[in-house]
Amino acid sequence: MTAARFDELIHPATRLSIVALLAASDWVEFAFIRDQLALSDSALSKQLSTLDEAGYVRIERPVSNHRRRVLAGLTPAGRAAFRGHVAALQAIVAGAGPGAAHGS
Amino acid sequence: MDGEMTPAEARAALSIVERSRLRVIEQIDVPGWYWWGLALGWVGLGVITDLGHPWATAAATLTFGTVHAAIAPRVIDGRHRSRQLSVRTDVVGRRLPQLVIGALLVLAGVTVAASLALAADGAGHPVTIASIVVAVIIALGGPQLLAAVRRRAARAAPPA
Repeated sequence: MTAARFDELIHPATRLSIVALLAASDWVEFAFIRDQLALSDSALSKQLSTLDEAGYVRIERPVSNHRRRVLAGLTPAGRAAFRGHVAALQAIVAGAGPGAAHGS
Repeated sequence: MDGEMTPAEARAALSIVERSRLRVIEQIDVPGWYWWGLALGWVGLGVITDLGHPWATAAATLTFGTVHAAIAPRVIDGRHRSRQLSVRTDVVGRRLPQLVIGALLVLAGVTVAASLALAADGAGHPVTIASIVVAVIIALGGPQLLAAVRRRAARAAPPA
């Protein structure tokens, strides 16, 4: 059971979509996130940088077939924050009261 | 965020989470070439068995098993349909490899039983005929199995 903790950093819709995509994966290529969420390169870079600075996302740049790939994945802290945020949203829906689960 | 969130807003946020989760679940699959390759290998084994040379059957079975053992672990977990992401094991389900191998063992048994039945009935090339039937089941049933796995993953509650 995850403790409910509303996370303001994750909550904006675009960032929430990105983090939820990463939460169901071990790692995801930059291009996949960009295409699935219909974001521009710069918009996605900005969102990933914000999450990276918060320690929620790790970015790797392996070279494969002479092509540099950019892979993103959630860190343990990011995964914990996401689960806490989802639990907070579920608590609000379940009727714990508006804003009752806000923890940050 | 003003610190207050209504249940409707929370529900909308959860639907964003669910949409992203479903996008990843859509990527759960085993490559199509795996099922077709398996089906062709199955028929090949049947044809060689019907030739009636035990050493050829043994060598073909060993080769088939070795190639499959080398390839299967990398593809039948269903997590790497695309090179663009790796689906988490807890999203796919931990038992998919056992499910695929179990299904293949059952189909091996079906092939043997059908071959014996066809041979008893006097059919020519009984193993080839049985293998073709099972190969069709593999080629058509494999993707259906993965579709069922995706539906099951979609119904499962996300971890919280």
